[in-house]
Amino acid sequence: MTGMVITITSGKGGVGKTTATANIGVALAMLGQKVVVVDGDIGLRNLDIVMGLENRIVYDIVDVVEDRCRLRQALVRDKRVGELYLLPAAQTRDKSAVSPEQMVRVCKELCEEFDCVLIDSPAGIEHGFQTALAPAHKVLVVTNPEVSAVRDADRVIGIIESQGKGPAQLLVNRIVPARVRKQEMLSTEDISEVLSTSIIGIVPEDEAILTASNRGLPIVLNGKTPAGQEFMRIARRLLGEPIPVRPPVELSWWQRLFARE
Amino acid sequence: MAILEPGKMSPWERLFGSRRSAGIAKQRLHDVLAHDRAEIPPGMLALIKDDIVAVVSQRLNVDRDGVTVNVMLHDSRSQLCVNVPLLNSGPVRSPATPPSLAA
Repeated sequence: MTGMVITITSGKGGVGKTTATANIGVALAMLGQKVVVVDGDIGLRNLDIVMGLENRIVYDIVDVVEDRCRLRQALVRDKRVGELYLLPAAQTRDKSAVSPEQMVRVCKELCEEFDCVLIDSPAGIEHGFQTALAPAHKVLVVTNPEVSAVRDADRVIGIIESQGKGPAQLLVNRIVPARVRKQEMLSTEDISEVLSTSIIGIVPEDEAILTASNRGLPIVLNGKTPAGQEFMRIARRLLGEPIPVRPPVELSWWQRLFARE
Repeated sequence: MAILEPGKMSPWERLFGSRRSAGIAKQRLHDVLAHDRAEIPPGMLALIKDDIVAVVSQRLNVDRDGVTVNVMLHDSRSQLCVNVPLLNSGPVRSPATPPSLAA
C-alpha cells in the first residue's frame, strides 16, 4: 500500500488546524480509508485531547524516532470508527526532537500500511512546520476570514510553493454567512481572490465545534451539524469525488435548532 | 475608490454604526500582500523614490512633493507603481549630462 501524506498547516495559530485534522481524519475513516493522524506539534500536544484519546497514550513520536518503541506500539487506535489511529506528539520535548528527515522516514513506514497519513502541523514557519511539510504529498492551509490569518496563509502558501510542495489548497474555516451577507466579514471569494489559491472547503462557524472538543468527540461523528457535514465533504473531495465547493447557507432559527447535536 | 485610512470611520459610519468593513479588509490585504510577496524591506520605497526623483529631474521639472511610489497587486503579482507629477515649466533649462553619457 502506498498512502498519501496530507499536511494541514496555517501559519497563524488558533485557526482550526487541529480540529480540521481530527475531523478530516475521522471522516476519511468513516469513508472506509485506513487513516493515521500524526500530531506534529511536539511540546504542545493537542490532537489527542480534541479526539478524546488523551488517556490511551503510551508512547509518542519521539519514542519512535529515538528507538524506544516500534512505530506500531505508539499508534493509538480510535475504536469509534473503522480504521483510525493517532500517532501522538511528545509533550515534554521541543520541536527539534524530530527532524524533517526522521518525519519523512516515519511517514514512509506509515504509508506502507495506511491509505491516508494526516499531519497536524504546528503554527508558525519554523522547524516544526518544516518537519510537518517535509513528507507531504498534499498540503491544506487553514485560514479564517480575518486579515491576520489570511496574511499568514499567504506567507505559508509561498513557502509551500517554493519548496515544490504546491499547489496548496485552502480550507476556509469559521465563516459566518450572515456576516458575509452584511459585508462585515471577508467572503470566501475575497479570500480566494486575494490568495489566488483553490479552495477545498468552507466550514461555517458552528457552536457544536466547542461542545465536540469539550467532549472529545470530533463533530463529523454527528452528521447533522453544518461544520461536520462540510468536513465530510472535504474528505470526499480529497478522495477525488467531484463535490462542488459552495459557501455555507444561512440557517433559519428552526434549522439551527435541528442542526444541533 | 475612496478607501479610508485604516481605523477611521466616515461620518456616515459614525452616525449609523455601519460595520461594512469587509471591503476595507480586502483592500488592506491587497496592499500588504503586494509588499510581502515582493519581500520589500521597510524604507526601500523611500530610497527608490529619491532615486527616481534624482533621475527624472535631470530632464524634467518634477513636483517632488507629489511623487508617489507604491507596490500593488496586479493579477496576483506585485507591481511597482510610480507617479511622477511634473511642474508645467517644460524641460530643465540646462540639462545636466546624464552619468551614462558623460564618459
